Amino acid sequence: MKKALNEFIHYLDVTAHVIKMAFMTIIEYPANIAGWMISNPLQFIMGFAIIKFVVESFGQINGWNYGQLAFLYGLSVISHALSMIFFVQGWFMGYFVIEGEFDRYLTRPLGVLYQFFFTNINIFGVTDLIPGILVFIYGCVKCSVSVNLLFILQVLIMLVGATLIRGGIYILLGSTSFHTGSAVDFGQYTQEIMDKTTMYPLSMYPESMQFILTYLIPVGWISFYPVSSLLGIEGRYNGMMIPFVTLAVGILVMLIAGAYFNTGLKKYESAGN
Amino acid sequence: MIDVQNLSKDYILKKKEPGLKGAIKGLVMPVRTTMRAVNNLSFHIDTGEIVGFIGPNGAGKSTTIKMMSGILTPTEGRVLIDDIDISKHRKEAVKNIGVVFGQRSQLNWDLRLGESFELLKHIYQIDQKDYDRTIDDLDKILGIREIMDKPVRQMSLGQRMKGDLVAAMLHSPGVLFLDEPTIGLDVSAKYALRKFIKEINKVRKTTVILTTHDLGDIQELCERIIIINHGELMEDGNLNEIVDRIAPYKTLVVEYYDESAPEHVRCEMTEHKGNVAKYRFMKKDLTAAEIIADLSKEKTIKDVSIEETGIDDIIKIAYGT
Repeated sequence: MKKALNEFIHYLDVTAHVIKMAFMTIIEYPANIAGWMISNPLQFIMGFAIIKFVVESFGQINGWNYGQLAFLYGLSVISHALSMIFFVQGWFMGYFVIEGEFDRYLTRPLGVLYQFFFTNINIFGVTDLIPGILVFIYGCVKCSVSVNLLFILQVLIMLVGATLIRGGIYILLGSTSFHTGSAVDFGQYTQEIMDKTTMYPLSMYPESMQFILTYLIPVGWISFYPVSSLLGIEGRYNGMMIPFVTLAVGILVMLIAGAYFNTGLKKYESAGN
Repeated sequence: MIDVQNLSKDYILKKKEPGLKGAIKGLVMPVRTTMRAVNNLSFHIDTGEIVGFIGPNGAGKSTTIKMMSGILTPTEGRVLIDDIDISKHRKEAVKNIGVVFGQRSQLNWDLRLGESFELLKHIYQIDQKDYDRTIDDLDKILGIREIMDKPVRQMSLGQRMKGDLVAAMLHSPGVLFLDEPTIGLDVSAKYALRKFIKEINKVRKTTVILTTHDLGDIQELCERIIIINHGELMEDGNLNEIVDRIAPYKTLVVEYYDESAPEHVRCEMTEHKGNVAKYRFMKKDLTAAEIIADLSKEKTIKDVSIEETGIDDIIKIAYGT
């Protein structure tokens, strides 16, 4: 027990230091900050403007009104931003595999996945977080949700779960490089699918698609099901426990992803000099 | 210290056939072949040894050293570092090793060198007193303090190598692995590196394991060499003994005033070009002085020199070229 606690404190200590270094790196290249500060939020604000336009033209999307869509969109962007901060490296795992970059993680006394993600922590992801939070708050006001302790807890739990689902999917896709021996940058591709399935109500897709997106690729749990439950919208799954299911799904996806990554790591071939 | 037991490594290769037809065939019915990169290696390395791994490109040196440092998982056999199996208990075993691999750096490109060291201080949980003392010690050998505040991206290759050496030694590991450390370094950087290896080996009793193609590195540093070719252990032993055994001869080069050169009964004339003749003789049978004395009775000698059969000839013989 004491050993586990010490180890946890060790990881926290390294994480704090790594975040400090990430900020120092950002300060080294100030021009980048300005670029990201403008382009990242703009991308999401424009995405939201399109929804607004569609809803105003047609009244609603699949029974979801404007405020509810804002709520959904906001939470989806927030979990996207969180996954960008902690797990965006997963998009580039193939390059790390091919170029032998895992060597240095394997020769240090910390978890390999931990080092892979946290020594490359992407503080810039915060620029995605801000528009997400703004749209979410806007949605809360429009839907006039009552913000109490349970609500806050549910939102936090589902965000953790959603971030883990996203991260787990990045790891699963990235780990295929260990087996195929080629680097595929699937980042843009995954992002497309995730955006289209988490920013809008899943119920607008055909039944078969919904089935796949619920059980095979569990992206439905990232935002659609927990948000339906938070807003009391009738659907396949209802109840106040749904956000906790999201967390459970997230942990499950992470465990599977971690196991798959570890089988890949056994096949890791490094790179010649 | 290090125990390598029946170590083998297979790589799976997909056979590729030429053309689009071949590509489709490879996609539908992939033919996989197993290539054995390292075959059944066993050896033991004691604390404080400096061991040089030599062998041609693709011989399995890097694969071996990468299995020994926990990067690759062996197909068969195991590596024990201080009695800990490194592929089973990686996190525990790697606390006792430091690694510098060729041109791959573990330093943070964007920040000053000192920041990379700070991170390692946290990763290895080195307390401030030990950290300061290690930096002081290593500064005396490498002069690292001068470049601590320089961003890594602005460093020369030699400076970066110094940075990587210090990074690998910060947690005072018992074993240091170096994979082709002198590649691309200029003479003075090479000299600094060799001095560093000798110093840490002498003062800290660090065991050093290196692969290299640089014969100077081996002559300067290694008492023991392990020659690997085609994944097999060809030779393992004391450098001088191996040289004496594989190449027990020397060559005497004699220059005369004209083009005729006398033979000598107890040695072989291997070359005769113009005024210069080369005589190869067995070291244990006779000395160069005797041959010179014999030859000078027959003809006036202008100049002599001796070609020591060196490590490079050993390599040629061992590599089979």
